[in-house]
Amino acid sequence: MRERAVQQRVLPGGCPLWLIDRPGAGILSAKLWMRGGSSSDPSGQRGAAQLLAGVLSRGCGELSGDALADLVEGCGAGLRSEAAEDGTLISLKCASSDAEALLPLLLVMVRRPWLVDDQIDLERQLNLQTLQRQKEDPFQLAHDQLRVLLYGDGPYGHDALGVEAELKAIGKPELEQLARSYGRSGAVLVLAGELPAEAERWLLSGLGDEAWPCSAPERQAGPTGLQQPQLACSNDDTEQLVLMLGASTTPLGAPHALALRLLHCHLGVGMSSRLFVALREEHGLAYDVGVHYPARLGDAPFVFHLSTSSDRAAEATRELLSEWQRLLDQAISAADLELALAKFRGQEALGRQTSSQIADRHALVLGHGLPFDFADQSLRDAAELSPEQLLTAARELLTQPSLSLCGPSAALKQAEAVWNAHSLSGAARG
Amino acid sequence: MPASPGPSTPPLPDPRRHQLQNGVSLVQIELPEAPVVCLDLWCRAGSACEREAESGLAHFLEHMVFKGSERLDAGEFDLKVEALGGNSNAATGFDDVHYHVLIPPQAAPEALDLLLDLVLQPRLDGGDFAMERQVVLEELAQSEDQPEEVAFQELLRQACGSHAYGLPILGRREALEAHTPEAMAAFHRRHYRADRCCLSVAGPLAGLELEARLNQSPLAALKPSEPQAALPELQLKPGRDRIELARLEAARLLMAWQLPGAADQDSVMGGDLLTTLLAEGRRSRLVEQLRERLRLVESIDLDLNVLESGCLVLLEAVCDPEQLPAVEQQVRQVLLELIEQAPKPAEMERAKRLVGNGYRFSLEVAGSVAAMVGNSQLWGRSHNLQRPLEWLEGWSSERLSREVIPLLHPDQAFCLQAVPA
Repeated sequence: MRERAVQQRVLPGGCPLWLIDRPGAGILSAKLWMRGGSSSDPSGQRGAAQLLAGVLSRGCGELSGDALADLVEGCGAGLRSEAAEDGTLISLKCASSDAEALLPLLLVMVRRPWLVDDQIDLERQLNLQTLQRQKEDPFQLAHDQLRVLLYGDGPYGHDALGVEAELKAIGKPELEQLARSYGRSGAVLVLAGELPAEAERWLLSGLGDEAWPCSAPERQAGPTGLQQPQLACSNDDTEQLVLMLGASTTPLGAPHALALRLLHCHLGVGMSSRLFVALREEHGLAYDVGVHYPARLGDAPFVFHLSTSSDRAAEATRELLSEWQRLLDQAISAADLELALAKFRGQEALGRQTSSQIADRHALVLGHGLPFDFADQSLRDAAELSPEQLLTAARELLTQPSLSLCGPSAALKQAEAVWNAHSLSGAARG
Repeated sequence: MPASPGPSTPPLPDPRRHQLQNGVSLVQIELPEAPVVCLDLWCRAGSACEREAESGLAHFLEHMVFKGSERLDAGEFDLKVEALGGNSNAATGFDDVHYHVLIPPQAAPEALDLLLDLVLQPRLDGGDFAMERQVVLEELAQSEDQPEEVAFQELLRQACGSHAYGLPILGRREALEAHTPEAMAAFHRRHYRADRCCLSVAGPLAGLELEARLNQSPLAALKPSEPQAALPELQLKPGRDRIELARLEAARLLMAWQLPGAADQDSVMGGDLLTTLLAEGRRSRLVEQLRERLRLVESIDLDLNVLESGCLVLLEAVCDPEQLPAVEQQVRQVLLELIEQAPKPAEMERAKRLVGNGYRFSLEVAGSVAAMVGNSQLWGRSHNLQRPLEWLEGWSSERLSREVIPLLHPDQAFCLQAVPA
């Protein structure tokens, strides 16, 4: 990647602005990351951050929801606002030549959202329907169930869309209060692509003389997870059994996080990855098998996932548990570590192809209070890690995984028996 | 507003075309700024090429290819490519299949040798075959556990009649259980031939000298194919049905229409424009009417599937089961109104900007550029990257009303209601 000119500015009021110039394609991407996502949903209001994010584009400043949509869609642009666990992200992608009309929207959405009752009702209803429809997907069910095993009622314990009973009760006053908190725990704005010289002025032009009081996101402790092996089963009339085996681990940038990232590459990235080869190529147990390890401000989940035919439930459970156990028993070979490193580098290169990807990655690390060049530094640091350090990280963070199952009852019974007999369930300790 | 993003945009790179002596075509696009090269090998060997007993064989073969060749052990290709910092994948469609590798530029020549060896000389070992069949059956089971996918498969089955587009790409379970390595080898021999393959390469290509390298490759050794019957034209059958599906949480209204096939790229662009006008963004007609105003649906989507024997436009509305009749009624009304009255200039402009930008945004990634030019080349279309934007400009409201909008008449559709059992 050639990031020719990177400039750092600060907007009036304190929000850091990063400008990454990549001329040529005439495309501009902007990402505004504000700390405070679903993990900051107020008590009894799970789903509030996502509901608010969705309503931001339904009217702001002088534009009604329709006028805003006319403007954005009329430019053929994309404008989205979404809450994730740790933050709310507003994304704009457009032709650079439309920047003057579109860039002002970002801060106006944050500072002057309309929050009209009628539009809140619509957005809430859509979110409730989506929550309902997601239950069609056995992977979603297993994932929701695992989340509770790993985080209980904690800040990471619910889907960003929320919890039905609480979401139903969230109204305009709650959203107004939440909107006022935008920026208080930190925010960062990243622009990447073909940058017009007046970009900074246009960003501010919708707010008049008003400054947005805001700070750079600081490094701070995020939500924690539970540390005890548990089992949860969901009875569903499917052909396959979905298995998710996972633990809550550690934040992005924490001491062992990079070692876990390399284990993730070793186990789950590409068709030469350990889980793919062991479970799919050698046993034909699954089509889809992999590892989920997202970047988080708090204790990130580290999850093996697999779906297999019901009649092979016992075998699949045994193999999945033994792959996890293997991480705790022995260090990976030097050759495997080298391969994991190559994948880590490859993923980094592939994740920097578009202006959106570049803006997104920088907004994420800056939003976590990490330095701008965190990804490059991680690449250098990763090359210094040894197999023993990966083993130490695993033994520190992966000793007590929980298992979430979703499928027909016969398969659940088989899988449960294998789990109960395995030392990872705590059987040997009991 | 102009439909192109303005004067600052540089011209799009032109594809360089070359033909090997045996007729295999090569198309290259120079993207000097891209961090990776994409190698994309296309073949006219999708599921529509299967004979009756061959159900699922095209896709199963795509899996088996990665099980190694005479020179490469099972998994060796993945290991080598991934150790070079690359990755690979493949996709089987109704019309064609393609195998692609993303790789850092300096490793591209080696990756190309590996890719060609793997795809053109697969080993198809019996033991691997039995094991991979399990994987394909798991893939089938996984898709059957998603009721939405089951509903779409049923829509295509009923709408496309006996045409291959109505059959599942993954294949029928009984057929999969009966396949043999010999039958697969025969399928490979029949379709992976010089005049049915094409290699597309996009990325920083300076100094790669692919042409010279290809002359020594298995690609240059491919023989021409035996004459084969052309795929029959799709004849979508209007009609309607209602099914109950277990595990469905929300009802679905699914509709399918037929548009002219991919050979008519100008018309494909018209179809793209029309589906965007109708269902992309809050101010599109269907989304505005059904989701924003009447609030009958959780979502409504309209996708254009570009296919050689006839494009398919597929609608999906997600709603409460009780709302299904109202949803269908409203979809009908929106379409009839559009047939009555040509789109307004602002609507046309909006749709053109969305389609034009969507196209330009997709050109940022080497993989999608390689796929786009590779697919075109495979089917004998050799327009440059600028051409689709010119076609886009050629669509006026009147022309859209005359040539494309009538094709989406609600009576021309097959309509399937899927409700929770």
